[in-house]
Amino acid sequence: MQTIIMVINPLTIKKFKRFKSIKRGFYSFLVILTMILASFFAELLVNNRAIAVRYDGKLFFPTYGHMLPGKTFGLSYDYETNYRQLKQKFDAEENGNWVLLPLIPYDPFENDLPEDLYPPHPPSLERQHYLGTDTSGRDIAARLIYGFRIAILFSLGLLGVTYVVGVSIGSAMGYWGGKFDLFFQRIIEIWSNVPLIYIIIIISSIVVPSFWWLIAIMALFGWMGMTWTMRTITYKEKTRDYVLSARALGASNFRIIFRHILPNTVSIIVTFIPFSVSGGITALTALDYLGFGLPPPTPSWGELLQQGWANLDAYWIVGAVILAMTITLITVTFVGEAVREAFDPKMHTIYE
Amino acid sequence: MTTDIHTGPGSSGRNAPLIEVRDLVTSFSTEAGRIKAIEGVGFIVRKGRILGIVGESGCGKSVTALSIMRLLPKPSGVIERGEIRLRGQDIAQLPVEGMNHIRGRQISMIFQEPMTALNPVHKIGRQLREVFDIHRSDLSKAQARTACIELLQKVGIPDPESRMDEYVHQISGGMRQRVMIAMALAGKPDILIADEPTTALDVTIQAQILQLILDLQAETGMAVIFITHDLGVIAEMCDDVLVMYAGKVAESASVKDLFSTPKHPYTQGLLRSIPTLDSRRKTILPVIDGMVPSLFDLPAGCRFQNRCPRAMPICETEPPPLYRVGSGHAVSCYLYDNIKDESAGG
Repeated sequence: MQTIIMVINPLTIKKFKRFKSIKRGFYSFLVILTMILASFFAELLVNNRAIAVRYDGKLFFPTYGHMLPGKTFGLSYDYETNYRQLKQKFDAEENGNWVLLPLIPYDPFENDLPEDLYPPHPPSLERQHYLGTDTSGRDIAARLIYGFRIAILFSLGLLGVTYVVGVSIGSAMGYWGGKFDLFFQRIIEIWSNVPLIYIIIIISSIVVPSFWWLIAIMALFGWMGMTWTMRTITYKEKTRDYVLSARALGASNFRIIFRHILPNTVSIIVTFIPFSVSGGITALTALDYLGFGLPPPTPSWGELLQQGWANLDAYWIVGAVILAMTITLITVTFVGEAVREAFDPKMHTIYE
Repeated sequence: MTTDIHTGPGSSGRNAPLIEVRDLVTSFSTEAGRIKAIEGVGFIVRKGRILGIVGESGCGKSVTALSIMRLLPKPSGVIERGEIRLRGQDIAQLPVEGMNHIRGRQISMIFQEPMTALNPVHKIGRQLREVFDIHRSDLSKAQARTACIELLQKVGIPDPESRMDEYVHQISGGMRQRVMIAMALAGKPDILIADEPTTALDVTIQAQILQLILDLQAETGMAVIFITHDLGVIAEMCDDVLVMYAGKVAESASVKDLFSTPKHPYTQGLLRSIPTLDSRRKTILPVIDGMVPSLFDLPAGCRFQNRCPRAMPICETEPPPLYRVGSGHAVSCYLYDNIKDESAGG
């Protein structure tokens, strides 16, 4: 619906300019945006499939699409080509064939178990495990990046669901007020007191929580925060004169909520988004850490954190996770602060 | 332009009242209990006439307007009693869905503060087009846009095409009120309620806006209910006047009668307190002593008794009814009790 999309008016442009002028927040935004975009193309950066292979004058791009059996490249086996070995072979042969491997040539699910060595392996440039491996020999950098992608998608999905529910119920409460409002206030108060973690334990003992299951459960118990906010804003906005004048022109309730009140609340909703994103990441990590999150072997920061905690002598596991968490949460929070500052209406007015 | 409405049933002849308000009582619930903001208000507006409602702050002018529009703040404001007959149809208790067809199409309203009455996040063109979206969904986008530009031209906005893409904060107060008027007229209403439309504007702009309303009224033949506290504006604009005091009608008359022979002591006091150019400078302006009684603590009899220079014992016990003192001239004051008796007797 076009009305919910932020209206690009001069005031909004001013807000964006303000946001851009807050350097810390703006650069954090660029960092987090790069991280998100990079994670969406993680298959090209972190993968055991090559980006490109040149063999007998033909080019292959194995990243996306069906697996290519070893026979494609003149190897003896029918299962998927091991591109790291293929690269070594081609490099040794020097007959014009070549393999272009991703930056980190490991899959997040792949156990790299060289002979005579027991995982976890410490970071090693030579083996291209830049952050080492975890207790089953999986590359930590690969798992961090794929885990980040899942966490950010989870967080955005959760945000979408909770905001749609929260905004709808909240603006209805604020707009209609009265008994409807009272009823939902009590519902929310009761609902907020349901212990989420027990519910998740119970549910995960019945079904294996998939990505969407987890979003559904978390949203079921997470929509209340936005509802309170929207209720208050709507209460305030509905008494403004423009609502009265829209009414005087014959506008229906639906039209007033969607075309008049909601567009006026967008700037407030936007300021909450970064904090909700970091909240979602933290929540998923915490659940994974406790073992009630996404099932193994899903790459997950929480699961890595737990491994690290159990193997403190393999300091690189816990170190990598904490570093990644810190960078992500700090940048998101910086973005949030800057957005809040840029959208603060008081910032546009100065009394001298 | 409004011919389609006139062929409808229920409108008998040119002079049938467009809107007739009878014995209207509107009350609000407050922490101190229910108070009646207006009590027993009644008037008639015919096609092409301008009725002025005048009175000081809190006398119930705006509540009367909001009651007619059915825009009282819910749930505290309620029309307790009375009829609001729009072309014979009583809309006093009509459900909201029914009102949505009447608002903007049959009755429109313009507000005091054009600054806040327009939505800050929408372009002017879009806000104007909304009226067409609501009432004229048969128009295509291009047609609606043309109609919007025509309307803006009509209300005297220069370069309307580029104004369409501007935001409220980019135009001046006078322009905003013109936009408000354009929005109110977009649905081609029969009745326009103007609730102190010039109070927030400076004097030169005020005159322009008043002239604009007069011109548009003459052009469209709509009826106007003009609410103001400025008797000068009433004299300039209106055909009929309703003087309100503390929620009740004090006097209703044609403009000519009211200014030449004011009957109610309150009206007389109001007229005396207007400074004139030929009075000597720095003379003391006559004022009406005392304060308007609080709606929470109204006197038993006439509400003006505590300030009235001609109060009588009966004023303290019984509220005065409306006495007819001439053609289209009624006054709520016991001073005219015997006149009525005489005329009835003679």
